[in-house]
Amino acid sequence: MIRIAPLFYCLLLMIVAHSVVAQTIPDVKITLNANGISLAEVLEEISQKSKIRFSYNPKRIQSDQTISYKAIEKSLLEILDDLGNQFEFQYSLVEDQFILKPAKKIEKPAEQLVTLSGYIKDSANGEALIGSTIFIEELKAGASTNAYGFFSITLPKGEYEIKASFIGFKPFNKSLDLQTSIQQNILLTEEPPILQEVIVTGSRDEVVGEIQVSKINVRPRTVEERPALFGEMDVIKSLESVPGIKLQSDGSTFYYVRGGNRDQNLVLIDDSPIYNPSHLLGIFSTIIPDAITDINIYRGDMPASFGGRLSSVLDIHTKKGNDQHMQMWGNVGLASTKLGIEGPLKKDVSSFLVSGRFSRLQWLFQNIDPNIQQFRFHDLTGKMNFKLDSKNRIFFSFYTGSDNYFSGNNGINWTNTAGTFRWNHLFSNRLFVNTTLSASGYDYYLYTNVARQQRWNSHIGNVNLKTDFSYFIKPQNELMFGLGLNGYNFNPGNLEDGLTNQVVSNLSVRNSTEFVLYANHEVALNKRWGLKYGVRVSTWTNTGEAFEFKFDANRNPIDTLVFEKGDPYITYVRAEPRITIQYLINEHTSLKGSYARNVQNVHLISNSISPFTSLDVWLPSSFNIRPQISDQFTLGSYHQFAEAGVSLVAEGFYKKMYNQIDYETHAETLLNPFLESELRFGTAQAYGIELQAKKDEGRLRGMVGYSYARAKRQFADLNQGQSFNAFSDRPHQFNLTAAYDVNMRWTINMNWNYLSGTPYSSPVSFYSYNGIEVPIYGQRNNDRLPDYHRLDVSASLKLNKNAEKKFRHNLTFSVFNLYGRKNPLFINYNKTQLSERDFKIPSNLLESERAISQFYLFQVTPSISYNFKWR
Amino acid sequence: MKTRATFLIVISIFFACEERIDVPLQSKDTELLAVEGVLSNENINHKVKLTLPYQLINGKGAPASGAVVLVAEENSEIYTLSEQPVGSGEYYTPMFRAIFGEVYTLYILYQGKEYVAQDSSVPVEPLTPLDYRRVNDQYTLVISENGESANYIDHSISWKNTPACLPDSSCEGRIVFYDLKSIDVNEIAKPGKTEFLFPAGSTIIRKKHSVSAAYRSFLRSVLSETEWRGGVFDVDRVNATTNLSPGAIGFFAVTTVVSDTTLVVEKP
Repeated sequence: MIRIAPLFYCLLLMIVAHSVVAQTIPDVKITLNANGISLAEVLEEISQKSKIRFSYNPKRIQSDQTISYKAIEKSLLEILDDLGNQFEFQYSLVEDQFILKPAKKIEKPAEQLVTLSGYIKDSANGEALIGSTIFIEELKAGASTNAYGFFSITLPKGEYEIKASFIGFKPFNKSLDLQTSIQQNILLTEEPPILQEVIVTGSRDEVVGEIQVSKINVRPRTVEERPALFGEMDVIKSLESVPGIKLQSDGSTFYYVRGGNRDQNLVLIDDSPIYNPSHLLGIFSTIIPDAITDINIYRGDMPASFGGRLSSVLDIHTKKGNDQHMQMWGNVGLASTKLGIEGPLKKDVSSFLVSGRFSRLQWLFQNIDPNIQQFRFHDLTGKMNFKLDSKNRIFFSFYTGSDNYFSGNNGINWTNTAGTFRWNHLFSNRLFVNTTLSASGYDYYLYTNVARQQRWNSHIGNVNLKTDFSYFIKPQNELMFGLGLNGYNFNPGNLEDGLTNQVVSNLSVRNSTEFVLYANHEVALNKRWGLKYGVRVSTWTNTGEAFEFKFDANRNPIDTLVFEKGDPYITYVRAEPRITIQYLINEHTSLKGSYARNVQNVHLISNSISPFTSLDVWLPSSFNIRPQISDQFTLGSYHQFAEAGVSLVAEGFYKKMYNQIDYETHAETLLNPFLESELRFGTAQAYGIELQAKKDEGRLRGMVGYSYARAKRQFADLNQGQSFNAFSDRPHQFNLTAAYDVNMRWTINMNWNYLSGTPYSSPVSFYSYNGIEVPIYGQRNNDRLPDYHRLDVSASLKLNKNAEKKFRHNLTFSVFNLYGRKNPLFINYNKTQLSERDFKIPSNLLESERAISQFYLFQVTPSISYNFKWR
Repeated sequence: MKTRATFLIVISIFFACEERIDVPLQSKDTELLAVEGVLSNENINHKVKLTLPYQLINGKGAPASGAVVLVAEENSEIYTLSEQPVGSGEYYTPMFRAIFGEVYTLYILYQGKEYVAQDSSVPVEPLTPLDYRRVNDQYTLVISENGESANYIDHSISWKNTPACLPDSSCEGRIVFYDLKSIDVNEIAKPGKTEFLFPAGSTIIRKKHSVSAAYRSFLRSVLSETEWRGGVFDVDRVNATTNLSPGAIGFFAVTTVVSDTTLVVEKP
């Protein structure tokens, strides 16, 4: 009561003061119909009708802002109140003229504030709707949900109209009288399929309003609809439609982002890194959309909570499992079979999800070559979640995927494994905490003698413990901070004998620990300006047991350093500042600028230019390998055509990368104890513009993108020290994806991609040595493969006439590379042609007529797949 | 460790296609001198061949004629090579035997520019018995890696003096098998080679060459750009190494050689 008293007197004083002003205002009734004219013009019209002049400073009152306002026989006071509220001015009558001044912000005592928090979920299955928005109409302020569907918004006590929305879902509206802080979970219901174009209106689009650049949200549905090779829906392959992301070629899961190398992309599934997301050498990726709820790709300006890679983060969240009812889905395609099941362990409280994919190619390949013993891959994903109480939830998730190809007495096998335990805790309605313990590993085996279990093995594994705090200070004012401890283990490739358990350690196994601290503050400075700034500080330390070589200036080994178990021996401390500024031109248009530094301490050592998964080796930063660093600047314009539901993004970027890795001529990267002496270090730079138009909902949906970007590298020891085109330098990129609902049962989809050809070194001359024609190369990457382009189409038929049935199924017919474009992976100059499509290396050096040949994968590839869902 | 990943070939057969393509080369005059010289422990006239690079595939290098070519034995003899025939670009030493372990230096003076290279030989392991197998009515070599040291075996095969030699055919072949004891990603997935067949009655002269560390490195880089290129695990394309001074390419090698001759007899 004591605290309320001053406020009461203050309000009383204001009311009295207002009454005094009101008493002196002429009793004039005015009719106005202003439509899209400026405030200045409206005031002029009022002035003419009321015969009262207005005086104001145009720099302080937004008199050039347009307004649509209608009043019929309204009092002058009411009209001025309406305008004052909208344009934030107050008025006073002084000597027959109104003086307009910016409204004073009333400092409200802390006890007047309450917090509305909760989760926004899909009513059908309880899945968190990540990135959905909550909007307070009266305050013109809002918030979006985090990776767990949680939101928190702190606002003055009062009665508000709450709106929640998520694309593809019916908007939620509710009036709430907020006198105390409350938790309000919101369930959104998916829009039923309709054929009319959806008119999207409402709150500001995320692309425009988020203080974030270079981020794209890919909806799992978009991936599912996309025509795919053999009908295998594929998250990684779908990235080729994103401007600035360049897939290496057909049959590859390697991708390059804004001039970076392929090891500079972090792929996270529920916060666990996946080091090689490929199956069948890269023809398919491990990541299928069935068990995924959210996919975000950051091509720069990564949130400070992410780190460890220079070029991109692909952040994937799996579904937590339906906590309302049992559900099962599956798919039968030409290459694999998928099956998933999810449901509540206890309704609304806990749920589980298990899904698997198994290849069915082995029988086919065994018919081609009876020596083949194994030819298969699989994925297995699982998740459980438990709501302990209103403030605590825990999640367990795991993923494992493996490839096995064995023929005769040799073969290859690689395995990705990842597991995550997460604990979400609400310290208060404004402080959300997520603690994650995750572990992942990647092993690659090349078997040279299966019977003896003799094999070459490389490995990278990590265990991470991190805690992320989100403190929702006010609407559009959020502080995120956290800390993490990561442990890494590297085996850069050694020989093992399974029978004797003997390991020939040419290369030392390495162990590293990383301690990370980060903070990120995101705040709307006013209605137009937004700012996000933060820093990530990492301390990277290698620890024994290990041995490392030191080299002289000529890369000759001069010393072997041996470290005992647990001994720390080299430390790199690096800070990664970042800042993003946003300027809202209006509700649907914004400009943003960003600078971010990134640091990378894990390095893929491979001089392969093959699009296929080969014998990869990972190494940590150490004496001979310094951390890779990048500085990236981005400027962008973001626009939403609200009524059409189309967002338009134009971004320009400049990226400089330091301590980049390349290789000595014909470097030996396998079982070479002096592997690090084969490495060369230099810089890289990339710049470009990217344009993208995207429409996620409606009868016709899709994305159009274009980018022009260049990527160059420069190394003192390579190409005579001159700059050369990076492998990923493919200047022009054009993408078009579209889906169209023909009727309630048929949907057609298409995807067209165009990319400039991959740079490579073509021979400029030849000479003969011992009967062999040896190529001579000029400038590195002096040439390009032919341009890449490809059109895929598909048509999907819902087999149910009644969309409400519990068992729903559909057939998808697709054609990959419809017009049969031959997109070469390599051009060879060394083979002799035996028949139309049979090229080999000539054995007889006395008679060898060589031809230039191109090696390419899939031409016109039709497929059919059957999908079902039971709920 | 060495293995052929046969399943990779199966994959490539199933999913991949290879066909002729007509793409222009970005040819240019490199102004390099190509050197191919090998000294061995055989008492022969050793050859150093000098050519100029050519710009089209299946071409032939123009001979680099009129060069002054010398080979110097470490602290000992200097041999002057003579071009035979003149204009051929092939230069021969007087008859001598390269001594094991001795460092030999090659000097070339060509069109006012001087080029130098050095090498010395390492021991060679004995040849293992030659193996071949029947394919229909003909035979093909069966070659496998053995021993501990890097080497290559040059097989000169001739059936000129057999009834199987048809008129207007060369009736001879040359197959070189490299065993560099290296482990390379692209070697594991190297493309297939044509099968060379010869009739019974053929004579096969084998010469096994030892390979010094520098020579091995050169041969490995040459193979990376030739025999091993075109598989599914290709590596970055770069020029083969050399032990010649700047402006020249190729290699000047000193090797130890063992040889034998085999008459191919009928086998079931």
